Amino acid sequence: MIFIEEIVIQSSCNQGNHPTPRLYQESAFCYKVEFECMASNCSILIECETLHLVKEAAKSAIIEAWRIEHKFSRYQDSNTFTAIHSKPEQWQNLDHETTQLMIFANHAYHASAGLFDITSGILRRIWRFNGSDKLPSQASIDSLLPLVGWTKLGWELHRPDRLKMPTGMELDFGGIGKEYAVDKMLVYCCEIFAKTQAAILINCGGDLACNGRRLNGESWKVGIESIKDATSADHIIALSSGALATSGDSQRFLLKNGIRYSHVLNPTTGWPVSNAPRSVTVAAPSCINAGIISTLSLLQGAEAKGFLDSIEMPYWISN
Amino acid sequence: MAVTKTKQKNKELASLLTAASCALIGGLATNANAGNNSWDVDAAFLLYSETDSRVSAAEPVISATKNYDEETKLNIKIAADTLTGASPNGATPSDQIQTFTSPSGNGTYTAEANQQPLDDTFKDTRLALSANWSAPLSRDWAYGVGGYFSKEYDYQSLGVNGSLSRYFNQKNTTLTMGLNLSNDTLNPVGGVPTTLFQVPENTNNNEFSQRQDSDSKSLVDTVFGITQVINRKTIMQFNYGLSTSSGYLTDPYKIVSVIDDTAGANYGGNFQSNGRNLYLYENRPDSRLKQSLYWQTKYQLDNNDILDLSYRYMFDDWGINSHTIDAKYRFRFDKQYLEPQLRWYTQSKADFYHRYLNASGYTNNEFASADYRLGDLDTYTIGLKYGYQFADDTEFYTRVSLYHQESSGDQGYGKLTKQDLYPSLDAVILMIGYKF
Amino acid sequence: MQKIVSLFSLIALSMAIVGCSNTGVKPWERDILAQQEMNLISDPIESSLNDHIYFSKEASSGGQGFGGGGCGCN
Repeated sequence: MIFIEEIVIQSSCNQGNHPTPRLYQESAFCYKVEFECMASNCSILIECETLHLVKEAAKSAIIEAWRIEHKFSRYQDSNTFTAIHSKPEQWQNLDHETTQLMIFANHAYHASAGLFDITSGILRRIWRFNGSDKLPSQASIDSLLPLVGWTKLGWELHRPDRLKMPTGMELDFGGIGKEYAVDKMLVYCCEIFAKTQAAILINCGGDLACNGRRLNGESWKVGIESIKDATSADHIIALSSGALATSGDSQRFLLKNGIRYSHVLNPTTGWPVSNAPRSVTVAAPSCINAGIISTLSLLQGAEAKGFLDSIEMPYWISN
Repeated sequence: MAVTKTKQKNKELASLLTAASCALIGGLATNANAGNNSWDVDAAFLLYSETDSRVSAAEPVISATKNYDEETKLNIKIAADTLTGASPNGATPSDQIQTFTSPSGNGTYTAEANQQPLDDTFKDTRLALSANWSAPLSRDWAYGVGGYFSKEYDYQSLGVNGSLSRYFNQKNTTLTMGLNLSNDTLNPVGGVPTTLFQVPENTNNNEFSQRQDSDSKSLVDTVFGITQVINRKTIMQFNYGLSTSSGYLTDPYKIVSVIDDTAGANYGGNFQSNGRNLYLYENRPDSRLKQSLYWQTKYQLDNNDILDLSYRYMFDDWGINSHTIDAKYRFRFDKQYLEPQLRWYTQSKADFYHRYLNASGYTNNEFASADYRLGDLDTYTIGLKYGYQFADDTEFYTRVSLYHQESSGDQGYGKLTKQDLYPSLDAVILMIGYKF
Repeated sequence: MQKIVSLFSLIALSMAIVGCSNTGVKPWERDILAQQEMNLISDPIESSLNDHIYFSKEASSGGQGFGGGGCGCN
């Protein structure tokens, strides 16, 4: 892998103060751009003949990813996230993109019978998955539960572009933001390569999407890191179209009395889902689709495998 | 039973989520692809200028292509050209001033002693319009149809064409058959002259009053081609072309000098008839059968440069054989390209080509033409093209070429040997264009 | 969803050693030939202007297509 140059992006598009993305050449017609986004190492892999289009595509994709990150980040100021939460108990108008994400979150909530709920993020104030044995008290959980629940929002599907936030509630787009960004990055790249043939693979910390096979007709070989040994791969997945997303985490859990509490929280009980697989990877047409299915399967706990079998989507489980 | 129900419910859930994801992302993708249905326009301007202030031409062209999908497209092209200047009338130069009747018969023009006789009444404007449609018929077949019309002051042409292609071997091999029919009408200035007849002094002559206003010719061209993908970087084509023309194929403005071949003071000079130099209107056969073999290969090198080589062999029943070699090499840079071009062409003369006719035997000729374009001829083109591709997929390009013609043949006798019967010709061709 | 996945981008450029027996490419190997510059007639306007000039200056025409024509210049 030969380092070619840094892809300089104006600071106004880099609100998260990320390091400058770096462009590498992997082989004759294969380029890789590495950058950081949403606390993940991300990369864009492009096989094509024209380097200037690679740079152009990477630049527009990274600007898009950073824009999404900034817009919905709870750690940054003067963004859409802050604006939504600064006006509780008032009707406010949502922009088109936020509206679309709300519609998606609504479908996910109902399809999962309330298990996937973007209002459940505040439970993380008391659940800190740092490998320790410190569980929060039931009293503190009970105090937060009234602030969790999608249906408590002032939001209706027939008027999806307006929202009234109850005081104290919070929306967490973190559960879908990264997958959404991966899909959008691919759209931006494909737009630039509309007239030139190129094979594109976007990867954001394991959530990835491609536009098809590689130029030589082979599928992309994606390795899923082993939980026990970060240097070896548990599975090697041949991806020829669509996307992959992985849910679960080897580091983020609590361990008490021999019970391993995964970081996936059941929004109805406020407690982590027990006996869930440590990680689930799902293949789907889009990354956000793969992400929601893998998250939902973890929320099924011990039933994860049965759930995945029943929906007939390719999946890989690591325990 | 319960298990089946859960399974069914989960499947519905999954398809609902896939649909929701699609609505979120798919909508974006469609947006990204929209606008693919627009017109691609290529506008170019050609300037052609011969040295010694002979012919110069300017030709603007606009071509617009609408791509409905990868294989279905409509192309419309409009071109206009204006020609001005003087072109050789076919007569030999002489050590005397020569006076020629202009094509209209209403005037004269002269050629100074020892100068190539040029007809400076030559001037024309042409407008051409064409449309072509191509589309697939099925997975393995494609077709194209088109038509064109062009009009100039003394000439008009109407044509239709069609082609049928069949793909084989995963589209690596394409067989194509094309047919082109055209019908052209000439309305020469001054009418259609009587062939191999002495050029009259003016319109008072009977010859003028007997002239027809117009004549026509028709053309049938067929092309059979095979295009073969050789490998990832090479594509090759072979074509066989058969072309027949019939009707009035003569050039109404071209004449032939008759040279005095009786020993004496005027040996090799212009032969006199009716008290003036004898020039005859040329005459060509009323049919021509041309056949051509064409080979082209395009190869992309490892450094992305492109080599384009072609060779054509053409022969016809007029006795003309020609070879053409065309080579282009495109150096490709990030957004720019530079393309040197070389072309070499050589032809052997038509059987009825005579630089001049002899006084002793000119009446025996059924056909005769002194048009240098039917004589032994070598031409060379050297050019350089430069293009710049902008980020928004538009492209600017320009080309400069030098064109050189070298004629050769019978050097004559007597006084004629002192004359340059085969002057060479040089032209500069400049082209600029913009694709958007 | 913090699982880090490593990519094995084993880009082994397939050497296209083509003999007469296996001319042609697979559909997904058309990346280079699909470039507009690799069309046999990549610049139709330039070709038609050339054909027009050569048609009016030489005795041969066509070959690649129908070429020139529709002109009283020859």
